[in-house]
Amino acid sequence: MIFDVVMPALGATGGDVTIQEWLVEPGQRVEAGMPLVVVETDKATVEVEAFRAGYVRELLAKPGDAVAIGAVVARLTDQPPADVGAAAGGVSERRSPAKASTSSARLDVEASAERRGEPKSSAEASTPDQHADQRIEMSSSLLLTMFRQMVLIRRFEDHLYQLFLQGLVPGTLHQSQGQEAIAVGVCAALRRDDVIFSTHRPVAHVIAKGGSVKAIAAELWGKATGCAGGKGGQMHLTDVAVGVMPTNAIVGANVPIAAGAALGFKLMRTDRVAVSFFGDGAVNTGALHEGINLAAVKDAPVIFVCENNQYAASTHISHNLRVATIAERAKAYGIPGHTVDGMDVVAVFESARAAVARARRGAGPTLLEYTCYRYMGHSRGDPGNYRDREELANWRSRDPIPRCRTQLIHDYGQDERALDAIEAECQAEVEAAVAFAMSSPDPSPAEALQNAYTAWPEVRHGQP
Amino acid sequence: MASREMTMAEALRDAMRLAMRDDPHVFLLGEDIGIPGGFGGGFTVTLGLSEEFGHERVMDTPISEIAIVGAAVGAAMVGMRPIAEMQYGDFVFCAMDQVINQAAKMRYMSNGQVSVPMVLRLPVGATRRGAQHAQSTEAYFMHTPGLKVVCPSNPYDAKGLLLAAIWDDDPVVFLEHKLLYGGKGGRKEKTSLDPVALVPEEAYTLPLGSLAIRREGTDITILANMLMVHRAMQAAVELEQLGVSAEVIDVRCLAPLDWDALIASLRKTNRALIVEEDNLTGGWGAEVAARLGEMAFDHLDAPIRRIAAPDVPAPTAPVLEQAYLPQVEHIVRVAREMVRG
Repeated sequence: MIFDVVMPALGATGGDVTIQEWLVEPGQRVEAGMPLVVVETDKATVEVEAFRAGYVRELLAKPGDAVAIGAVVARLTDQPPADVGAAAGGVSERRSPAKASTSSARLDVEASAERRGEPKSSAEASTPDQHADQRIEMSSSLLLTMFRQMVLIRRFEDHLYQLFLQGLVPGTLHQSQGQEAIAVGVCAALRRDDVIFSTHRPVAHVIAKGGSVKAIAAELWGKATGCAGGKGGQMHLTDVAVGVMPTNAIVGANVPIAAGAALGFKLMRTDRVAVSFFGDGAVNTGALHEGINLAAVKDAPVIFVCENNQYAASTHISHNLRVATIAERAKAYGIPGHTVDGMDVVAVFESARAAVARARRGAGPTLLEYTCYRYMGHSRGDPGNYRDREELANWRSRDPIPRCRTQLIHDYGQDERALDAIEAECQAEVEAAVAFAMSSPDPSPAEALQNAYTAWPEVRHGQP
Repeated sequence: MASREMTMAEALRDAMRLAMRDDPHVFLLGEDIGIPGGFGGGFTVTLGLSEEFGHERVMDTPISEIAIVGAAVGAAMVGMRPIAEMQYGDFVFCAMDQVINQAAKMRYMSNGQVSVPMVLRLPVGATRRGAQHAQSTEAYFMHTPGLKVVCPSNPYDAKGLLLAAIWDDDPVVFLEHKLLYGGKGGRKEKTSLDPVALVPEEAYTLPLGSLAIRREGTDITILANMLMVHRAMQAAVELEQLGVSAEVIDVRCLAPLDWDALIASLRKTNRALIVEEDNLTGGWGAEVAARLGEMAFDHLDAPIRRIAAPDVPAPTAPVLEQAYLPQVEHIVRVAREMVRG
């Protein structure tokens, strides 16, 4: 079979991009995610990656050519070329793109990493002290469940990225590869009737809380079968039945809302808890400050979960923060704060479990900072050129999924083939979900006027 | 049905008290509202409620407008019926994201999976405190799909509409004019009107979206809300002496707005004059004038006119404030011009 490689809208505001250099040649074997070509957009010089594995069949543009977004620039095939010898050697060395403009940013990043003393191993990360001696023996079934969820999220996000590279994802895309352990570890500590408030990067949280992958996919494709009937889109996913409140695309805004949900639970005399997920970019918003403080003074049963993935869009955290950790901000609110390795699902689960228990017994909120890394750019079209390739590789080497897999095999005696089977199941589920989304019907246009209000004597059409 | 005389502050308090007795999901949050020995919010409306319902349900908050509105949104989404108060309506701008992007859009973005049954109470109106404690902000909210907007002018309406707002399943922005509260002692406004009315002691609701014809007339329809209703009524008395029969409609609900009732009045009077305390450009009157122009042009014998505050911030000095706000004599003069042609 032959697969077209189209020029994705990477970092471009529209218009043509210029082919700078091919990193592969015809006949060469490539893996999914491998850079194929360096192109120059109106914003930056970026690499275009292979959306799938295969062999380069032909290159359709040469260096210096201007090509349009969506144009086919190369073709891949799943058939090895007849002359195998020509492609011997297989995968070529990964080559760094030209990125003269990133050197100063890199220096800042390094200085900051030194100052902050991270990333390091999980042993250095603090765990909630009062519960350090209460580490439960993680059951193999729970760890397997968490493994499966992380794999499901990763496979879904990777599949979405491949489809994006082919120009098949209709809307925006904010991905969270690398952050799965946080979503999964935190949600594993929650009950179904607890609620989560997520962000513009919600897919992992929603799946981890039990949301349907099919309904999420269909929402991304704007279909009637989407979890919000097409009114939400990628940034506004909701599944109230499993405790996923509408996810929020205003940075920091869900913090006071989660505090309010928690106050509601408290006033209703239930032991339900609320979780606010946010990124490091949210910690300097006024909403976050006001929301955490209100929750603190009212002992609201809420857990504030900061996914510190180091970058607020393109801005490294060292530019935005004078304190060494986000968790130490908790002192200012008089609540516990902990920095935990967000690449370790067991550490995430245990810290979240302690914070949830604390909230349930009426002792108030906790701020949990999970250090992690967003492997992808901020959103679709962001190649992440402000980041250092070694930094990314370093974080990828601590990927939570292989780590969990190794734990399952070595500490829990799980069978490799059983884990392979889980991965295959997840892949099949993801592909089925996307197929369902793509084949689902569009919402009826009249739906656009529905559900702004529960009841309204007259719908405002703009025209009487 | 037993009634007693109430000021607007008392009527609002009575509505909240009855709702809180009726449903444990109703609670209040705002600044300085539940402090023992305190003053019951900026305008005494919540005075005494913490004694009956405790400090958890009459929740005093830090000076954190974003958190007040945000917490109300979150609590409402999980089944509570919060009543959030801004100490002054102007302070809502600190929390506009929570009102516009959150409260108003949650139901739509979730395709109806959640609703936000909250009330946001805003004391509005110019009261010699200067530009940041003076604004009438209804147009901002009327413009925003997902919100309902209510703005009563008297104690009877205040109680019935507030109860309707509390039981409504959508977010309601509830504007209260500071010169109509009827605060006592040190909380009394110097230039206040403080209407008092016989108000039923039991609970009742008035339909959200309803208007009230305060006075019937045949020559011109004057549309006004809150304090301006009282000025329009006074103008109507003076106009009558001048041989002009003015109908006065209290636009006590701006969203939804009862267009049919407005058009019915225009069929009779063929003239519409809008009186608003808000600034002229983009005020609620602009929308009403545009809609009436589209829907009722055939019934009009004169261009629709508006009397509003000029497009400058509210000044503080009494003489400047008086020059800034629509006065009775403006209404009389413009109405006469419109009727005499």
